[in-house]
Amino acid sequence: MSKGVLVDITKCIGCDACTVACKMWNNIDFGENARFHAQERSEVHDKNAFMLDYKNWTKIILHKPEKNGEKVWRYVKFQCLHCIEPGCVASCFATALRRNENGAILFYPNLCVGCRYCMLACPFDVIKYEWEKTFPLIAKCHMCSTRMEQGQAPACIGVCPTNVMTFGDKDDMLALAKTTIQNDAKYVPHIYGEKEAGGTAWMYISDIPFEQLGFNTDITTRPIPEYSYDFQKYTKHAMVGIGTLLTALFLYTKRRNNIAEEEAKKKNN
Amino acid sequence: MDKQKEPKKDVSRRNFLKMMGGLGLVGATTALTGCEHSKEPIIGDFNQPLVGDGWVPEQYQTAKNWPAQVRGRIPIHPKTVVLDRNDQKCILCGQCIEVCRDILSVFGYYKLPVIDDVVCIGCGQCIMWCPTKSLMEKNDIAGVQEALADPNKFVIVQTAPATRVALGEEFGMPAGSWVQGQQVAALKELGFDRVFDTNFSADLTIMEESKELYKILTGKYDKPLPLITSCCPAWVKFCEYFYPDLLDNISSAGSPMQMLGAIAKTHYAKKNNLDPEQIYTVAIMPCTAKKAEIKRPEMNASGRYWGKENIRDNDAVLTVRELANLIKTNGLDLNTLPEKDYDPVMGKSSGGGLIFGTTGGVLEACLRTGYYLFSNQDMPEHLLEFTPVRGLKSVKSASLDIPGLGTAHVAVLHGLSDARVVFDAVRRGESPYHAIEVMACPGGCIGGGGQPRTTLPPSNDMRKLRMNTLYKKDAAMNLRRPHRNPEIIDLYRNFLEKPLSPLAYQLLHPVDFKSRADHIQALDHRRKV
Repeated sequence: MSKGVLVDITKCIGCDACTVACKMWNNIDFGENARFHAQERSEVHDKNAFMLDYKNWTKIILHKPEKNGEKVWRYVKFQCLHCIEPGCVASCFATALRRNENGAILFYPNLCVGCRYCMLACPFDVIKYEWEKTFPLIAKCHMCSTRMEQGQAPACIGVCPTNVMTFGDKDDMLALAKTTIQNDAKYVPHIYGEKEAGGTAWMYISDIPFEQLGFNTDITTRPIPEYSYDFQKYTKHAMVGIGTLLTALFLYTKRRNNIAEEEAKKKNN
Repeated sequence: MDKQKEPKKDVSRRNFLKMMGGLGLVGATTALTGCEHSKEPIIGDFNQPLVGDGWVPEQYQTAKNWPAQVRGRIPIHPKTVVLDRNDQKCILCGQCIEVCRDILSVFGYYKLPVIDDVVCIGCGQCIMWCPTKSLMEKNDIAGVQEALADPNKFVIVQTAPATRVALGEEFGMPAGSWVQGQQVAALKELGFDRVFDTNFSADLTIMEESKELYKILTGKYDKPLPLITSCCPAWVKFCEYFYPDLLDNISSAGSPMQMLGAIAKTHYAKKNNLDPEQIYTVAIMPCTAKKAEIKRPEMNASGRYWGKENIRDNDAVLTVRELANLIKTNGLDLNTLPEKDYDPVMGKSSGGGLIFGTTGGVLEACLRTGYYLFSNQDMPEHLLEFTPVRGLKSVKSASLDIPGLGTAHVAVLHGLSDARVVFDAVRRGESPYHAIEVMACPGGCIGGGGQPRTTLPPSNDMRKLRMNTLYKKDAAMNLRRPHRNPEIIDLYRNFLEKPLSPLAYQLLHPVDFKSRADHIQALDHRRKV
């Protein structure tokens, strides 16, 4: 059963416990600025500007949008959204990215060749490259797959003091999102992640339109792999077809040469 | 023709060695840099995905919907002047959020979504509870050291009542050790030009506050009862967030720290021909909220007095921990320092000023002077030990018969979660009290968020030891009534005229309650309960 997470942006107080939990569970280096982690957030309103990097698989960004003519603060937690039909998985020819039965997109570092196709394929700009390393690979959230296998929530969700995130079956989370929005007028009638890129495991609800919170709302509702599938599905046929054609050509030219040689021999004789 | 086409087969020994050396270097570099990039061996099971191999505390090893005592941690304002946190040390134990919620009743009591602020009263109790010292106060030592090194600056320091029973713990002394003399000596060694006592301005606060109470009770002042003390900046902030309708009840008098800063930059500067702009006032406080208090826009009464808005009443606040740090880094040991006295003019204090450091002390001192104001006679000796307001019960109430007034009903609150009952009663108009003392930290300033966290955990054992020392020293003093402090009498005679005079009002009451009410109205619609 595919798992899902519902993020209620209105509940976040910006304590950054989730980002610390992520680093603790995944043994990620805090970097030199660990002490000022909380202050690092800046006021960004660009699309996709979540400033993730290979050491920060999840981040909380403080946005200051306007609501009813007043500036308000909203903290937005962002990480890999774990698409139901992920573009990154489709793009990876080395099969270093795979989606497991819980809906988590896993990364197989021993298979990765570092080509960065997945980074281009990701519509949310989540996958990051280890630019500082000599032989870089990619890095991204894997939704704490081993915790999920044991029935636990991902580390970031468990530590949240205000229950911003709810973890459960994907269908239940979608239903919860719909009832929450229906019962409370403060929410905008949009579940981010319900349809974006064909649906994602992580979904967001908010009282501020998502485009003001740094989300890319100008995004297709069609699953990313479908775009290339339309012509890439002919790859097998094309491979076999081209091979057959070339073999036929080879056989044809070979036969013609043989005939030509034999005729030349006859002439000489 | 054939000879020319043949490739050259000779490789000299030199070239061969060069080639091998180069290959070796490339290999070594590859091995050194390549091995750090993967947590697993480069050649291994290719079907192993990357998984978390770290650790999170036990309480998070359950499904999300299982109840947990505490989760997460407190939020910190990105530009706060009070708190600092090292994420690398944080283990998400949740104790900061536990104390914030259960003792201070701040976390979990505000409305979500947040509006445009991180609700924090700055009390610093989370620092006391943090087991890994991930949470700290914002370090202001550098600014003080800079001022001390500047020959043009006249650096004045004041020490709060509760610092002298706690600083010793940083130097290996038992909890509750009395180190007033050594603390003064250390400050003088550090190069502070004058060392004044906040106890002195605590007496001054009592003069102003008890006069205010007197005027309200005799109908000369239109202000709602009960009168609530204003010394604790964390409580004032708490009131602004959660009980904005009670702001009118808070005494308009500033805190002792603010008063001393204001007097130092006006009266003291004048008397000693000092340029108030060159005076740098430092306060040693057991408190982190004081760091936020000095940054409040209205805390520049001396600036308004001189017509120069940039003059702040206090320029820096150091916690007791920071002071200990400063003393240690300068190679001083409190154990070996001789005892010294505070500098005159603002160095003498009564026992009433001293017990400001503990819960109930402000009110007890206020009663000592209030008794005189109503009855025109000094409080009898047996009432000086007013035990009903002493101790560590979170809500203490008492009554006292004062000739000329009748029975005065008072309450003493500390640790804000239990105090909410009383605030709610005041809000409904059901409170029988004339005066209420509120301190945010359990035990008052002796248990403040800026106190040492060395010898004992933040428990009542530690608080009792510190508190007993204060009460013992108060009992041993000849001068116990704030209005009998000769330096206070001099100050009023030479400068301020009398309590609540226009000048006293300008300097010692940085927020008169009318402007505070405007302030509330502006904030009312955004900071809701």
